[in-house]
Amino acid sequence: MADTNQGHSQRAIVIGIGEYHTGAEPMTSIGLGSCIGLIMHDKILGIGGMAHIMLPESGGKRDRLGKYADTAIDILLQELSKKGSSKNMLQAKMVGGAQMFANFSGNLSIGERNIEAVRAGLKQKGISLKGEDVGGTKGRTILYCPANNFTISIRRADGTCSEI
Amino acid sequence: MTILTPIQADALNELGNIGSSHAANALSALLMHQIELTVPAVEIIDLADIHGCVTDDLFVTILFEMQGEIDHAGYIMFLLPLDSAIRMTNVLLGTTEEERELTEMDESTLQEIGNIMASAFLNASAELLSVVMIPSPPSLVIDMGHSAIEEILAELAVEVNEVIIFHTTLTCDQYSINGNLMMMPAIDTLSQILTIMDQMLNDTA
Repeated sequence: MADTNQGHSQRAIVIGIGEYHTGAEPMTSIGLGSCIGLIMHDKILGIGGMAHIMLPESGGKRDRLGKYADTAIDILLQELSKKGSSKNMLQAKMVGGAQMFANFSGNLSIGERNIEAVRAGLKQKGISLKGEDVGGTKGRTILYCPANNFTISIRRADGTCSEI
Repeated sequence: MTILTPIQADALNELGNIGSSHAANALSALLMHQIELTVPAVEIIDLADIHGCVTDDLFVTILFEMQGEIDHAGYIMFLLPLDSAIRMTNVLLGTTEEERELTEMDESTLQEIGNIMASAFLNASAELLSVVMIPSPPSLVIDMGHSAIEEILAELAVEVNEVIIFHTTLTCDQYSINGNLMMMPAIDTLSQILTIMDQMLNDTA
């Protein structure tokens, strides 16, 4: 398929499914459906991190730390702490967890389970959730520029944009 | 993750080739016009790179689970850019307006087109492998392509970090319609298919 993904995510680091990144560079996650884009932000240092979470539980797997809610939260905290963030300065936002197909028989309500797992994980670590755009039936592409502020731009398939 | 030998990769390519050319023939008969298809590719794509293959552009995605002799065998998908989808239903329904939303009638037409193509694909590959497979009832979603397939990936790639994708692009120049036909087998299905193919290759050797 032709890649026509211009503009919204230009020059941003693309965080693919199961990936994560921390730093001050712009980051984007393309086409979040049932997956969650989890963002952690340090407003003092102007840095942050993003993970593209696909599943709620790692079950002990350590192969793709950004893929599961529990390991993604851990690794973002760990990497941001290495970059000088202290845990009580960090705030989180999350986007995604949609159910795209109304009558899909596969991995049951995986979007909803992802949302719950991220919420529970953040609560357990004492990270406050400052904003979210989750659930529903629509896909979302997100852009986050840590150096500016903690604003997450969200674009939907019909072109409508919003911010949290 | 199974590492494919060159012979296995060839065999899978051939399977995808036969399946998608039958699907293209079925579409060609519906539109009463020739359909060109690119040489189908079997690719092993890392989860993190799927966005390079299926973007967040607006697509009509028609999804089928492959059912039959192999349980949870995987999925067949037909992804159409919205304008192509509208032109396609215009041809079939005799309507002409291109700048419009999809109606319920359009959606059921597209589901039926998808159904005919998925059935043709599975019939052809079933004949080759002697494994009976049929498509589930269709699900249709109009949204970002990448978003639509994430739920499928969340099922196929729990234990692994790559997916196998048979991928071909269909085009109809007459009506400037293009679409993408994809098949994503579950890992278990792939190993079953490979076992059957190995036997066939040994038998003919």
